[in-house]
Amino acid sequence: MLSYLLLSGVTTGALYALVALGIVVVNKATGVINFAHGELFMFSGFIAWSLHVQMGVAYPLALPLAVAAGFALGALTDRIAFRPLIKADVISLVLATVGIAFVLRGVARIVWGGKGDYLSFPPITSPEPIMIGQIMVIPQQLAVLGGAILVMLLFAAFFRLTRAGKMMQATADNSKAATLVGIQTARIYTLSFGTGAAIAAAAAVLMAPLTLLYPDMGFAFFIKGFAAAVLGGLTSLPGAVLGGLSIGIIEALAGGYIHSSFIEVSAFIVIMFVLVVRPTGLLGFSRLRRV
Amino acid sequence: MVLQRSLKIGAAGLFMAAAAMQAAQAQAPGVTADTIKIGTFGALTGPGYLYGKLPMNGIDVVFDEINAQGGIHGRKLQLVREDDRCDPAAAIGAVKKLIHQDAVFAMIGGGCSNATFAARDTIDEAKIPLVVMASVHDGITTPTPPTIFSAATTSSIESQAQLEFAIAQGAKRIAVISMRDSWGRARYNPMIEAFKKKGIKPVADEELSPDANDATAQVLRLKMSNADAVLMVLYPKPAAVFVRDSQKLAFKPLFIGQTGIADPAAFEDQVASPGATANFRTISMVGMTPQDPAAEKWRKAIEAKFPGDRLSVYNLFGIGSAQVMAEALRRAGPEPTREKLVAALNGLKDFKVDVYPGPISCSETDHRCHKTPAWLAKEPGGPVKVLGATKVE
Amino acid sequence: MNLFGRRNVLLALFALAAIAPHFVNTYHLFVCNLILVYVLLSIGLNILVGYAGQLAFANAAMFGIGAYGTGLLQVHFGLPFWLAFPLGAVIATSVGLAISLPALRVSGLYLALSSLAFAQFTQWVFLHWEKVTFGAGGFKTPTVSFAPLPVSKPIGLYYLTLILAAVLFLLAQNLVRSRIGRAFVAVRDGEVAAESLGIDLLRYKALAFGLSGFYAGIAGGIYSAMLNFVSPEGYDLFQMVLQKAMVVVGGLGSVAGSVLGAGAIVALLEALREVKGIQEIAFGAILVVFILFMPGGLVGFLKRKVPGWEEPLHRKGAGSAPAPAAAPAPAAGEARP
Repeated sequence: MLSYLLLSGVTTGALYALVALGIVVVNKATGVINFAHGELFMFSGFIAWSLHVQMGVAYPLALPLAVAAGFALGALTDRIAFRPLIKADVISLVLATVGIAFVLRGVARIVWGGKGDYLSFPPITSPEPIMIGQIMVIPQQLAVLGGAILVMLLFAAFFRLTRAGKMMQATADNSKAATLVGIQTARIYTLSFGTGAAIAAAAAVLMAPLTLLYPDMGFAFFIKGFAAAVLGGLTSLPGAVLGGLSIGIIEALAGGYIHSSFIEVSAFIVIMFVLVVRPTGLLGFSRLRRV
Repeated sequence: MVLQRSLKIGAAGLFMAAAAMQAAQAQAPGVTADTIKIGTFGALTGPGYLYGKLPMNGIDVVFDEINAQGGIHGRKLQLVREDDRCDPAAAIGAVKKLIHQDAVFAMIGGGCSNATFAARDTIDEAKIPLVVMASVHDGITTPTPPTIFSAATTSSIESQAQLEFAIAQGAKRIAVISMRDSWGRARYNPMIEAFKKKGIKPVADEELSPDANDATAQVLRLKMSNADAVLMVLYPKPAAVFVRDSQKLAFKPLFIGQTGIADPAAFEDQVASPGATANFRTISMVGMTPQDPAAEKWRKAIEAKFPGDRLSVYNLFGIGSAQVMAEALRRAGPEPTREKLVAALNGLKDFKVDVYPGPISCSETDHRCHKTPAWLAKEPGGPVKVLGATKVE
Repeated sequence: MNLFGRRNVLLALFALAAIAPHFVNTYHLFVCNLILVYVLLSIGLNILVGYAGQLAFANAAMFGIGAYGTGLLQVHFGLPFWLAFPLGAVIATSVGLAISLPALRVSGLYLALSSLAFAQFTQWVFLHWEKVTFGAGGFKTPTVSFAPLPVSKPIGLYYLTLILAAVLFLLAQNLVRSRIGRAFVAVRDGEVAAESLGIDLLRYKALAFGLSGFYAGIAGGIYSAMLNFVSPEGYDLFQMVLQKAMVVVGGLGSVAGSVLGAGAIVALLEALREVKGIQEIAFGAILVVFILFMPGGLVGFLKRKVPGWEEPLHRKGAGSAPAPAAAPAPAAGEARP
C-alpha cells in the first residue's frame, strides 16, 4: 500500500511541480505572482485539444504549437497586466492578473464550454496499465513524470547556458544592476512571463489525458502550484519541484492513512505550520530586511 | 388657485393614465397579447455552468420550435436568463430581478442545489410558478411548496434508486464514494438515509474532490473494505479518475453512477482506459444519450443554434423541463394567469416527454413530478443500452 | 467648502440611501442592502490592506465566520438574533486576532499564502464539521423580527445595515486619522523603520487584523440575516476577489474609497446581468482596464479632478497632489515584496 501511495503522490506531485515551476519563473524575474497562471495552463490545454482532436494535427506538432501559443499568451499578459503597472502596488498587480484569469475562463467557456462537460484528450502512450516490479502503473503517468523532469532539465539548461537565460538570472538577482549593464529589463520580464506560460502549456498537454480539460480546471492547479512554489521558497526552481512533490506525497499519505476527506486540506495545514516555523519555505533564502 | 386647479387636473390625468395602464394589464405580469415572458436562473459563469447555461440552451431550442409553430395560444415564448454563479446570494438577487424587474410570468430554472434552495423563500413569497430543470436538493420540493415543481429527479429519488439497483444486482458489500460539495451532499445525505432504512451500513465511505487527479488512496481503502458495489456520487471528472485508478489497482466492483455521469459513451472516453468501464452502470433522469438516434432532432437544433456546441445530457435537462412548462401553459388556456398555470402543473398526470424515461406526474401534495430514472450501460466498444427504468416511491 | 467635496458627496449618498426604500422595488432594495454589507467589508479590508499594508487573503473566511457564528448561535442555542449577531462579530474578531500571529513572522506573498491556507482550512471546516455547520448543504436561519417596530424584515434590516455602516464608517475615518492610523501607515511603509520609531508591531498588526475581523463579522451577521441561509460557497475565494477588487477600485488607503468601491463593484455585477453569457469576460476586462487607467482607484481619480477629496495618509502613489499628476506613480521600488 505504501509503495502505491508514494507512487501516486509522486505522480500528482509532478503535476503540481510543473505548475509551480512556471509560477517561480515569473516570480523570480518580476517579483509578482501571476494569478492567471492556472488559466494560461487551461487555455493552452484547450488550444492543444483543438489542434490535435478537432483539426487532427499530429501530436509531435500540436505540442510545440500549444507551447508557442502559451508563450504568446504569457507575453500578452505581461504587456497588458504587468508592464504598465510595474510600479503599482502588489495587490493591484495581483488583481490585474485575476482580471485576465476571468477573461480567459470566460472565453474558454464560450469556445469550448458547449462541447461536453470534460473533454478527453487521447493519451500519447498506450492506455493499458503496465507492471513495473510489483506495481501497476498507467503509462501516461510515467510520461508526465518524464516530461516534468525533461522540462526541468531543459529549463535549467536554458537558464545556465543561454544568453537570454543568463540575462533573466541577472535581472532576477538585481534588476537595477541589470539595467546598468545594458539589459533591457522590460524585455526580460516579457520573456519570463512567456516562459512561465510556455511551461504551463507543456504541462497542460502532458497532463490533459489524465486530468481531462474543462474551463475551471486552472484554479485548482494554480492553488496547489502556488502552495508548492511557496513551500519551495518562491524563487528556487529545485524548491518548486521539491514543494510540488512534497504536497503530492502529503496528500496521498493523508488520504491513505487518515481518511480521504483529509486530502484537500492536508497540504494547507502543513503550509500554515511551515510558514510559521520557517517563513522562507524549504529552500528559500532569508533576505535581510532593508532599513 | 391656478396652482390648485392644475394640480387637480394633473391628478385626474394621472388617475386616468393609471386606469388605462390597468386595462392594458388585465393580463398577468409577463403576458402580452402576443408574448409570454419566462425567466430562467442558473450559473452562466463558473463551474456550475454545466447545470445552468447548458440546460438554458436546451430551453431555448424548445422555445424556438414552439414559436416556429405559432407559439402557445398565439403567444410567442421569450426566455430571460439570469446568472446566479451558483451562489445563494446571487440566486436570490437573480430571482428578485426576474420577479420585480423583468416581471416574468413564470420560470424554468435552478441549476445549483444550494442556490435554488436559498431562493425558494423568495419564490414561495411571490407565488411565481417555477419548473426546476436541474437542481436536485430535496429541500426545494419538500415540504411541498405552493408554486415550485421539479422536472428533475430529486436527489433522494436517485440516491434510493442507486442503492436499490446495487441490492437488486446481488451486491452484499456496498460502499460509497462522494464529493463533499453542495451537489454531493444533497445526494449523499438521502443515500445514507436510504441505507439506514434498509438496515445496512456502507462498508466504506470515501470522499473525492471535484478536481481530484488521483484516487489511489480511495481505491486502496475501498479495496481493503472488499466492496462489491460502489455507489458513485461524483461528477464525470473525478469519476473518470476513480474508475481509471480502480482498474490500475485491479479493483473491479460494480460501479453505479447517477445523472451527473449520464452519458456512458462520453464517460468511456474520459476514463480512456480500455475495459475499465465494463462494470459501470448509471442512473439517469433523461432516458436518452446524445448519440441516441431518438435525440437526432435535438442534436440538430442545438448544433444549429449554438454553432460549435455538441448536444449534451445537460442540454436535455432543459429540453425536458421546457416541454413540461410548455404543456402546462397550453393547458392553462388562452387567458393564462399564474394560478391557472399552477393548477395546470398540479394536474399533469402521466404526461410523456420524449427525453424523460418515464411520465411526468404532479399532484397537489407532491411536486416531485419526475420519479422514473432510467438505467444505462455501455459494453466497452458497444452501443449505449437503456436497461430499463425504475419508478421510485 | 467644496460643493462636490468628499463630505458633501458622502452626505448626499447617505441621504439618498436613507430615503431609497421609499421609491425602489424589492430587487433594488436587496441590491442596496448588498452594497451596504460590502461597504462594511471593504472598509475593514482597507484598514488591513490599504493602511496597515498586510496582504492577507482571509477576509472572506472571517466574513463566513461572522455569518456562521450568527446563524449557528441562533439555530443551536436558540439565541435571538440581537444577541447572536454581536457574538458572531466577537468570534470573527477573535479569529482575526488569532491569524495576526503568523503575520508577525511572515509578510508579503508568504503572508498571502498562509492566510490563503487559513481560508481554505476554514472552508474545509464549514464543509466537514457537519454536526455543527450542517456541511455543504448549508442551513436556514430564523427570520429576524423587528417587532415592536412596525417595519418589515427587508426594510428593517436595510436600515440596520445603513446605521451600522454609517457609524462604522465614522469610526474608521476617525481611527485612521488618529495615532493608531499613523502607526498602521508606518508599519505599511517600513516595518523596521516603524519599530525604530517605537511602534509595537505585534500590537498594531494584531489590531489591524482584529479590526478587519470585526467589520467582516458584522457584515457576515447581516448577510446571514439577509439571505436567511448560510452555506460555504458564499465565502470562497471568489468572495475574496470581490472584496479585494472593491478596495483597489475604490482606492487603497481610503475609507471613503471603500464606500465607492463597494458600490461600484456590486452595481457593476448587477449591471453585467444584462450582458448574458459574457459576464466573466466583461468583469475581468473592466477590472484590468480600471487598474490600468485609474491607479489610486476612484478616490485617486476624484482627488485629481475634484477639489475637496484630499485625504491624509492615503496610499502613496495615488497622486495626492491635486493638479500636475501626470505621472501617477512615483518610484515605489519596494512596493513589491
